Amino acid sequence: MIELRQLTKRYGDTLAVDELSFRVEPGHVTGFLGPNGAGKSTSMRLVLGLDAPTSGQALVNGGRYADLRRPLHEVGALLDAGAVHPGRSAYNHLMCLALSNDIGARRVAQVLELVGLSGVARKKAGGFSLGMKQRLGIAAALLGDPGVLMFDEPVNGLDPDGVRWIRGLMRGLAEEGRTVLLSSHLMSEMALTADRIVIVGRGRLVADATVAELTAGYPSLEEAYMALTASSVEYGAAR
Amino acid sequence: MSVLAAEWLKVRSIRSSHLIVGIGLGSVLLAAGLAWMAIGMYEDASPSMRRSARIAELEEVVVIVPQLCLGILGLVSWTSDRVLQTSLTIVPRRWPVLMSKAAVAGGLGLVVGAVTVFGTFFLSRGMLAGRYPVSGFAESWPILVPTSISVAVFAVLGVGLGVIMRSTAGAVAVLVGLVYVIPMIGGNLPEPWSERLGSVMMGALPREIAGASLASSVYGELLSPVAAALVLAAYALLPLLAGAWLLRRRDA
Amino acid sequence: MRAVLASEWLKLRSVGSTGYAVGAAALTIVLGIVWTLYVVSLADARGSIRAAAPEEGFLPLVQVSLAVLGVLAITSEQADGMLRTSLAAVPRRGRLLFAKAAVVGGVTLAASAAVLIATYTISRLIAGDRALGFNDIGLLDGLPTVLASALSVAVLALVGLGLGAATRSTAAGIFSVVSLLFVLPSVAAYLPAPWNTRVASIMLPNLVPQIAGDRLSRRLGDGVLPPWAALLVLIAYGAAALLAGYLVLRRRDA
Repeated sequence: MIELRQLTKRYGDTLAVDELSFRVEPGHVTGFLGPNGAGKSTSMRLVLGLDAPTSGQALVNGGRYADLRRPLHEVGALLDAGAVHPGRSAYNHLMCLALSNDIGARRVAQVLELVGLSGVARKKAGGFSLGMKQRLGIAAALLGDPGVLMFDEPVNGLDPDGVRWIRGLMRGLAEEGRTVLLSSHLMSEMALTADRIVIVGRGRLVADATVAELTAGYPSLEEAYMALTASSVEYGAAR
Repeated sequence: MSVLAAEWLKVRSIRSSHLIVGIGLGSVLLAAGLAWMAIGMYEDASPSMRRSARIAELEEVVVIVPQLCLGILGLVSWTSDRVLQTSLTIVPRRWPVLMSKAAVAGGLGLVVGAVTVFGTFFLSRGMLAGRYPVSGFAESWPILVPTSISVAVFAVLGVGLGVIMRSTAGAVAVLVGLVYVIPMIGGNLPEPWSERLGSVMMGALPREIAGASLASSVYGELLSPVAAALVLAAYALLPLLAGAWLLRRRDA
Repeated sequence: MRAVLASEWLKLRSVGSTGYAVGAAALTIVLGIVWTLYVVSLADARGSIRAAAPEEGFLPLVQVSLAVLGVLAITSEQADGMLRTSLAAVPRRGRLLFAKAAVVGGVTLAASAAVLIATYTISRLIAGDRALGFNDIGLLDGLPTVLASALSVAVLALVGLGLGAATRSTAAGIFSVVSLLFVLPSVAAYLPAPWNTRVASIMLPNLVPQIAGDRLSRRLGDGVLPPWAALLVLIAYGAAALLAGYLVLRRRDA
């Protein structure tokens, strides 16, 4: 479970996240939506303790991420698929992360197999396409077989085959009883994948409901999203 | 021309360039600090020690700071240009991009070099005159001009090294090797190699161009003014041309 | 902690830049052999000669190469974003930096000791009983200086790691190390006597001769620090840089 309580993050004079509160429950895929700059990635970084909140709390399974002893066993995250050393092989990239959390080489081979990168495991990650880097990032998130998973725009750069694969993977992970938070801009895809939707705009909570509830009054999820975020697309507008 | 304007904007719009130029200009303050310490020592010294008091030309001592700064500015302008891929699709030929970067770095180097070298000269002479024997402007300007230009040479050299090495760390390491490591190693060589190598080192060239003495340094003074000027130009141009040639081969 | 150390060790050896850096440092052995052969040929022609020791003459090459390795150990992760992934795996930032420091310190100490001892020994073996100046003391008597040099290289790499973490940029990190290694000492040497010697005595590259009890240089004469104090100052350089790096790493958003 992921829980945000009155979470606020200010960079200089920009308020990136503004008293944001919501819970992501286990057992279903939660879609995380919002215009560019709405605070989605910042919220995820705050959950992982990478950025320090200005005020409020971000909790994972009821505690602070920074207090976890071997965090990869509890939380897996894909924030930026490009965040790999271009000269390091896919296998070594995963092995570096695995070693730090006492995860063995067998598990590394397993996740490489799972994401379909076994054949290029010894190739340098710098030569990977964006789609392959996404798969590598997903493999890293799955390393510790964690109960909580966060993916920031994982379908970017994937081919139609890959998009369908992600959909199955996300739903499968949720059916196993895991907490899955997934951000994306592809509304039609999100409508097929997610059960619940959290929408943020300008760092604030806009909606927190099931897909069925959101689409009740609109022709599609996309229409619902457009209507709900209409007032929050201007970046950094004076408030 | 628009390529040049674009490259100038790129340099101008990054905070790190301001920092690098600031540190380069800050070398004037470093020289002032050294002069201030030297004055303190002079005041504490006995009359006989005062008569024999000597101090090095401070603008030639601290110029290594703007040299290194502008060299790094030049190479970073290539190695950390994330827009490079995009700008190369906008400007189909890489040659103008490279030349514009060299021109921007070199131009900036010339300004920073002139400001720091002449600034240090006038400031330190003003502080030290009357205590230490100091040279006047009339006899010093032939050294000050090539010393200022050497800062621009470093900037262009940096661009060339950035293209050749393609990595910030690699290019900075080679720059440092060229400027510090090789002269230090060269100083240990037996004659005549120490003198020969020392004469073509960057640090020796301004004084060789001016025909001034280098007797008290690790450098040699074998080159004529014209030859020294050519070597100085070669430091800037050879790596740049080699980089341009490599660039054409790499994506051919 | 053992897990994090194993992870950092794999990180360091699984990137190409580590090989280049150690390779550049190891070039000293080759240059040392060429140098000694050349000096030997001069000595055979002239009878005897006073030449610099290759492991001292080429030391700056080892220093720069391995200091760059230290800087890159942190700044390359910051540049490509891997640091966020690393911190997600190891949220205790002090622990991550400490593991990096242990691995960088160990690897650079081993590499510099191996390169310098090899250069030292091979050059003495080539020299045989010719009088070349640098081989006028017994083979074992020269070892303390060689080991002090190796230690200084490891500290320099840690200074690079700390300043890389503090400046969060490869170029700025290397610039800072180079300033400590070359720029400040060369500026200090131009101060009027006796201040040149006093200030030069606390400069990083001048600590090695003081630890070994040698003079700084012909021009600067003896340093002002006794060996134990020079060793303390050397350690203080590494500790101060790592502390600065830790404070920045802890306070800043990743």
